[in-house]
Amino acid sequence: MDLTKQVEEALYQVIDPELGINIVDLGLVYKIDVNETNDVHVQMTLTTPGCPLHDSIVSGAEAMIYGVDEVNDVHVELVWHPAWSPEKMSSRAKEMLM
Amino acid sequence: MIPQMQTKTETNIKLPLAFILFGLVSFIAAQSLLWMNTAALSNGIFRMPDLWMAAHFLLLGWAVMVVMGAMYQLVPVAFLTPIWNERFGFIQFFITAVGVAGLSIALSLKPDAAIIAGSLTVLGILMFLFQIGMTLLKQEKANIMSWFVGGALVFFLLTILAGLFLTWNLAFGTLVYYDSLFKSHLIFGLTGWFTLLIFGFSYKMVPMFSLSHGFSMRWAKPAFISYVSGLILLILGVWSSAGWLLTFGWGFLWIGFTGYAVDMEEIVTKRIKKKLDQPFVFSLVSICFGWVIHTSALVMSMFHVKDVTIWSWMIYLYIMMWIIFSIMGYLYKIVPFLWWTHKYSGSVGKKDVPTLKEMIQEKWGTILFAAMTAGVLILAVTAMLEMPVSVFTAQGLLTIVSLLYAGSIFRVLTR
Repeated sequence: MDLTKQVEEALYQVIDPELGINIVDLGLVYKIDVNETNDVHVQMTLTTPGCPLHDSIVSGAEAMIYGVDEVNDVHVELVWHPAWSPEKMSSRAKEMLM
Repeated sequence: MIPQMQTKTETNIKLPLAFILFGLVSFIAAQSLLWMNTAALSNGIFRMPDLWMAAHFLLLGWAVMVVMGAMYQLVPVAFLTPIWNERFGFIQFFITAVGVAGLSIALSLKPDAAIIAGSLTVLGILMFLFQIGMTLLKQEKANIMSWFVGGALVFFLLTILAGLFLTWNLAFGTLVYYDSLFKSHLIFGLTGWFTLLIFGFSYKMVPMFSLSHGFSMRWAKPAFISYVSGLILLILGVWSSAGWLLTFGWGFLWIGFTGYAVDMEEIVTKRIKKKLDQPFVFSLVSICFGWVIHTSALVMSMFHVKDVTIWSWMIYLYIMMWIIFSIMGYLYKIVPFLWWTHKYSGSVGKKDVPTLKEMIQEKWGTILFAAMTAGVLILAVTAMLEMPVSVFTAQGLLTIVSLLYAGSIFRVLTR
């Protein structure tokens, strides 16, 4: 499995503690880039600016990615544009919220 | 380019927690004191020293202290700006806690000395206003929430100034307009400070806890303008004794509250999270209670109801079913957030951590909230009907439920 896929798999383990759903299924992860020296750059968002779990989720994502073998450096960038919308959620996440 | 924002927003947990724990102890104290004075409640005699003590433990010790603690946590995350000075916050806590406890006790045991503890309370609150003011000034762009919270802070300042004059009167007895000042104190504090603050934070917390999307908030600005106009008209009515001003005041308050309630209804309708947490539902139900109370007050004012006992119980219902219930519901969300962040934030991605829902006893909370609602309604109705045994029983129930509620919050801190 290539490193980008491994990073994505790792991010499935980061659970939003308020919703009990992982951040990938919630559609919070926008982009995963891995360069030639295995440095990882992730662009992600939160469901709302000013989420109290802001720091926890970002540091959790970083810790999870560092746990992937061969990963060198990690940078998780939090962005607000484009804003998160429910359409970004997977069908599994939508079902869990029903 | 995609803009980035990475602001550290977490406050040292000890600061909000200190306020919240002090608040919970005060809540039990207030309910116990009310239980010990049910004879006065049954007779509709509210302006007596022991009830002043209970009221101040309830509103200052519990509601104000919990709100301050919650604001130390929520302001940084809601406005994306850190607290101005945490050390200043701890000093503020100490001064306010000593002041509030001293003032509440002095109002019963030595009213003429209340001015001393009252001054300390005023100092603590002024420090809080300064702290939050400095924090909000750091916000890059004001929004409607800033207006609600800013407005609430202004009314908080007016409340304590009016309160200071009242304690001055207890000490030196020189004020002529005591009744108008007392009513202004209530209006500034209950309808101004608490309600505007709940409005403001609801616009942030209700969408967040229901995962709502695509709502308009179109009534937020009219609601703010209408509610503040209503408050000003009420104050003018109180000082001029013009009944029509009071009725217009209640009318504008009703329009403001209705606009806010309509916005909340839209937010909840457009939620993605279909099954809401029960304690949060309790906060939403309190909006319905608040609307019914505002409607009743408007109708009473239109029909010139002047019976002091009826208005006193209306104020009691306003405090309990709108303000206190809102706070109780939100606290069931806020404390798990606080404790989870403190205990598990650094463990995400390293080991299994609980969800927030797993940190509270949701079903137990539902039972407590239902019992609280029943207790308050039975108390108010049987007190107006002058049924002392029922009043004693209902207040006993409220005291026990308060104790269990505090216990359930303390339990979160063991998770």
